Amino acid sequence: MSAEPVLEIADLVVEYDGTTALRGVSLAVGAGEVLALLGPSGSGKSTLLHAVAGFLEPRSGTIRLSGTTVTGDGRPVPPERRELAVVFQNYALWPHLSALDTVAYPLRRRGARRAQARTEALAIMQRLRVDHLAARRPAELSGGEQQRVGLARALARRPSVYLFDEPTAHLDTHVRAAFLEELVARQRDSGAAAVYATHDAEEALGLADRVALLREGRLLQVGTPQEVYDEPVDLFAARLTGPASVIDGGRLLVRPGWARLGGPLEAELRAVWFRGPHSDYLVDSPRGEVLIRESGPPRHTVGARVHWTLAHRWPLPGSPSDSSSP
Amino acid sequence: MPARGTPTVVRAGVPVAVALLLAVLVALPLLRLVQVLWQESDGDLAGILGSPGLSTAVRHTVVLAVAVTVTAVPIGITLALVLRRPDLPGRAFWRVAVLLPVVVPDFVLGYSWTQAYARAGFTDTLLGLHWDGLLGPVGVWLVLVVNAAPLAYLVVAVGLAARSEPDLERAARASGAGSFTVLFTITLRLLLPAVAAASVLVFVLTLGTFAIPQVLGAPAGFGTVTTRIYADLSIGGDPASFLEAVTLALLLVLVAVVCVAPGDALLGPHLRSARPADAQGTQTVPGRQAVRRGQAVGLGGYLLLTMVVPLAALALSSVTRALGVPPTPGNWTLDHFRQVLTVRTVEALGRSVGLAVAAASLLVLLGGLVAVGERRRAGRATATLITLTLVLPGSTLAVALLITYGRWLSGTLTLILLAYLAKLWAFAHRPIAGALDRLPPDELRAARASGAGLLTAVRTVALRPLAPALLGAWLICFVTALHEVTMSSLLYGPGSETLAVVVLNSQELGRIGPTAALSVVLTLLVAAPAFVLWMVVGRLRVAHDGPHAEVARVG
Repeated sequence: MSAEPVLEIADLVVEYDGTTALRGVSLAVGAGEVLALLGPSGSGKSTLLHAVAGFLEPRSGTIRLSGTTVTGDGRPVPPERRELAVVFQNYALWPHLSALDTVAYPLRRRGARRAQARTEALAIMQRLRVDHLAARRPAELSGGEQQRVGLARALARRPSVYLFDEPTAHLDTHVRAAFLEELVARQRDSGAAAVYATHDAEEALGLADRVALLREGRLLQVGTPQEVYDEPVDLFAARLTGPASVIDGGRLLVRPGWARLGGPLEAELRAVWFRGPHSDYLVDSPRGEVLIRESGPPRHTVGARVHWTLAHRWPLPGSPSDSSSP
Repeated sequence: MPARGTPTVVRAGVPVAVALLLAVLVALPLLRLVQVLWQESDGDLAGILGSPGLSTAVRHTVVLAVAVTVTAVPIGITLALVLRRPDLPGRAFWRVAVLLPVVVPDFVLGYSWTQAYARAGFTDTLLGLHWDGLLGPVGVWLVLVVNAAPLAYLVVAVGLAARSEPDLERAARASGAGSFTVLFTITLRLLLPAVAAASVLVFVLTLGTFAIPQVLGAPAGFGTVTTRIYADLSIGGDPASFLEAVTLALLLVLVAVVCVAPGDALLGPHLRSARPADAQGTQTVPGRQAVRRGQAVGLGGYLLLTMVVPLAALALSSVTRALGVPPTPGNWTLDHFRQVLTVRTVEALGRSVGLAVAAASLLVLLGGLVAVGERRRAGRATATLITLTLVLPGSTLAVALLITYGRWLSGTLTLILLAYLAKLWAFAHRPIAGALDRLPPDELRAARASGAGLLTAVRTVALRPLAPALLGAWLICFVTALHEVTMSSLLYGPGSETLAVVVLNSQELGRIGPTAALSVVLTLLVAAPAFVLWMVVGRLRVAHDGPHAEVARVG
């Protein structure tokens, strides 16, 4: 993390109608950094973003943006006076405004005249290659186009923190990759910090500088993508961050790439899935079931006796088996 | 399999039956109206239209409708915006309280204002304060606004729940817009179709309103089209006034169609695209508690002055010995109730309830029929026609039915029932059609795919979610029929007075105490079942929407 954090969250507690959605979360995000919030639905990701944006009032805790306390110190600063932009899961484009006027909206709120705001908005849309959609209303745009317009609106705000609330959840797989690439490129250009909420481990690991794992309103672990994948703090964290096998009575974590077919250990092949570039083998050995990933099409059939090797493993710090995990 | 689907006879028969009934109830009578005017006027249409009284009445009616619309709709919008905040103190109470004018018969509302604020009224007796303008155009306007505001509120609130996702407003706040900018650039813009619908509704209802202008306007010589038709038919009786009533009835529906048609054509397509409503309050961004408290106080003050004081004054004058004596317990008596609760009144009461139950039950059936038929192309035209009947003023309908079927049915309850069916069909149809629209098609398909026939699928899967709409439609028709006086005052005969007609006649005779007592009886009669059904509908709705509302929360 570089220098002074742009966003600092300390001991944040949020309650809705008696249920606690966040139970004391502390985080800091630096300029130019992307922090992914990874958690299952209901873990508090959106709640955390909404608290930072000022859409809800936490019960306690403080939020500081660029060194200024916006929540927790007297009356909370309203969303429009926080230097941040939000990209929403459901796009949240205004049905009565054209794409151009949508992107011009934050510029107008800064006091730009209509013509000037539109010129600037068009320039932003050109950079995102959506300028040909300028005259269209949301109803005339596809999901991917809508979300690009949503991103353009956020860029127009020129914030110091971007909040991405599962922006790709409603996008098709092929649109998703292009959108993410665009998003990261623009965010890096701007030098702003970003918090990216998602329940998709691949997305979080591939995109973020650091990943924060959330479970039931608590932070489970914060670290680089490599750290949270290779060294999860418990079984829940392990399963949240990717495919995970546990052997030896729940004590050892094995990722699919950490085991190989061939070698001294014996097992029976339980299932096999062809995944295109690689194949996944589920083997049943005396030490437990292990998922093994090998490149190429399947080389064995179900029921075959196979040999395998353990190349790497991670001893889980948590208790042996955790029954409440997914 | 045609045997398990809808029989072809039903499929083709429903639209035909609906069209026939519409012809009998509406089209034929309207044509007869035109025919009578043509025959009786001997070609001297210009002479009738040129009479000064007639043009004054039309002018008053149009100006009044415009004035009420431009005042009541902003009040309705304000109420909807304030009441949507979940952090408003006492929100659940206010949401019911602002609907009070809907269950108080408009006649009673107008009369209660005279008991509160007119000369020798409640404030005059207590504080020596009274308002002479109450009897006259300004008073008529003000009480009509109070009467129409909840309706505008309901339409706008439904639009607000259906159209405004909190994220749209949050996105604007996060784009740098303050709460007022968001209100004008986003919220109100999204509400435009609902606001327009509310305006059309209020405008049309004011055009056809009778009771309040009759109670507050007529004594001061301020006449509208509806009060003039009433005067022509009940006091007049000579051919000239009959002809004037027919002319006015036609002019009224003409004005309504001319004023509403362009608006409806512009709005029609937008109004249908409303998304499923989540009636839960949405808190976009937390607000200031002091502001909420101020809003609650404002609501309280508004309701106190417009409803609580007038209704209290009405209740007091129903138990106070005589006009002008202070309404203290020492002067209380039940004489007025004893005086009015005669056999004649009780019979009228029975007739009113019977008529309302019959009308509401038939209307829900008819409304449901049209709503189901509407899902097929052939039924769509009939649904549009039904919606058009909303524009028909009650006075026009009553005069038309009277001259068409009066020969056989004059002065019977059947004629009044026919009038209610024609007038309220759209009221029953809209909520049922709306609920059917919101029913996810996949739920019915899933039932069919699980082996249920169409009727079984509707009974097992659709009926429960539709129940609130069916009950709501029944309730609207029942309450409206119970306090309806515009049409019944023109159509009743000896032995077919409804309670509302008895109250109106009593007021015209100037019997203050007895009229107040009758008004109290009528109000309780309407309010009690309305309250009970409100609770039932509310419970059903919660049972059905509960889980969805929870899921809709931020996750």
